[in-house]
Amino acid sequence: MYCITDEQVDFILDDIRRNGIEMEDLQLNLLDHICCIIEQNLEADGDFEGFYRQTVQQFYKKELREIEAETIQLLTFKNYYAMRKTMIVSGLVSVMAFVTGSLFKWMHWPGAGVLLVLGIGIFSFLFLPLMLTLKIKESGSKRDKLVVTSATITGLLYCMACLFTIQHWPGANVLWFSTVIVSFFVMIPIYFFTGIRKPEAKVNTIITSTMLVAATGFLFLMLNTRPSYRMQEVKMYSWLQSEQLLQRMQGANTDTDKLAADINRISMQIKSLVLQNAIGMPAMPHDFEKQGIFMEEGNTGPAFMDANSKGTRLMSELKEKIKQYNAQHSTAPIPVAHTALDAPADMVGRYSNYTILNTITQLQLYVVSAPHALVATK
Amino acid sequence: MIYSTELIKGTLKTIVLKLLADNKRMYGYEITQRVKELTFDKIQISEGALYPTLHALESEGLLVTELEYIGKRVRKYYSLSPSGKSKSKEKLSELADFIETMKLLLDLKVKTA
Repeated sequence: MYCITDEQVDFILDDIRRNGIEMEDLQLNLLDHICCIIEQNLEADGDFEGFYRQTVQQFYKKELREIEAETIQLLTFKNYYAMRKTMIVSGLVSVMAFVTGSLFKWMHWPGAGVLLVLGIGIFSFLFLPLMLTLKIKESGSKRDKLVVTSATITGLLYCMACLFTIQHWPGANVLWFSTVIVSFFVMIPIYFFTGIRKPEAKVNTIITSTMLVAATGFLFLMLNTRPSYRMQEVKMYSWLQSEQLLQRMQGANTDTDKLAADINRISMQIKSLVLQNAIGMPAMPHDFEKQGIFMEEGNTGPAFMDANSKGTRLMSELKEKIKQYNAQHSTAPIPVAHTALDAPADMVGRYSNYTILNTITQLQLYVVSAPHALVATK
Repeated sequence: MIYSTELIKGTLKTIVLKLLADNKRMYGYEITQRVKELTFDKIQISEGALYPTLHALESEGLLVTELEYIGKRVRKYYSLSPSGKSKSKEKLSELADFIETMKLLLDLKVKTA
């Protein structure tokens, strides 16, 4: 039995390090292992260095570093199951959030936005990246990796475009066009040309590619079939004319009814909230054509989101004033039945900006043209 | 006959877990020697396979380690953690089941002693 000196221990440790073993744990293990072999198998007067070289050579095929590489690979592979579990759970959670969010959105229940953002967000930024990492690890060839990567990027863009559209965030159109471009010019060509070369995948590749081209084509077409500019234009000018009519009549009106003044004040506040959301300013400027301002039909924005929002509270206040007004002027009351002013407070957010604007402007027209007001003018 | 590394690789984790279940605590060299001894030199675990496996099992939380100083060098003893104990049973019954299936699949006539 050989007795190893401290210098020899240092020598072995040095040699292990020099041969590329960097993990300290592994260094210690190998050192002890080699020492054991030498102590057990070398004669007391044997040649230490020669025996050491011989021993360490049995540890590897080409280089000692292989052991560390293998260790690192096993350690990363360890995360595989955790990653796969996370992927499955995140996939389930996102699908559930998306489905319930869609239902809420469809029913106009509160919380739809949060659920949808959560669902699509988890899907895009947890599920898809995890799936990509795992697929890349599993797939052997570079081509497969390329296909999976391009498909994931397209999927991510698609999800983001959906999310931005649903949430009315700016930039949705850019995202849709990016999706179409990446899908058509990057993903489909990569998929097609890598798949067509494999005889066993040829038919499937042709069928799937055709379907992908069709889907991308439909998407592209839909991008161009948004409500036409003309329709929106008619809506905008119709409201603007009512607004002009109102201003003309108000200019000629000298009615000093306190309730009428209140109704007008609140009406202006509500309209400016709607306009602020739609065009970013509290009133439509006179030279809106010159400035290129165009108001699209959309929702009324955060001020009408729920029962406690500023806009919703103003609507309730307005309804109260109308009730008082109608009690005073019972001969010519303002009709509110079946209009947006008839709806419960938390439903107001469901109406489009034009519906609210038109309702309010009409209300003001009723006030300004009330018989007693016209008498006052005379 | 010495078995091919492919055959050993798939069962190495199970071998290590079983040995540790039977022996409380062991260090690397001891494991290779014990395997050699028990299999009459038929299975020789290479260092290049053993240590990566030990590190992987440790990071999975199945093994716990103790360090012991032997002169200037450090010896790392491995033993099963509680989850390692249940895992070793699980792995062992899996392998036993696998062997039975292989017997069926390959139509092996097993000599009964």
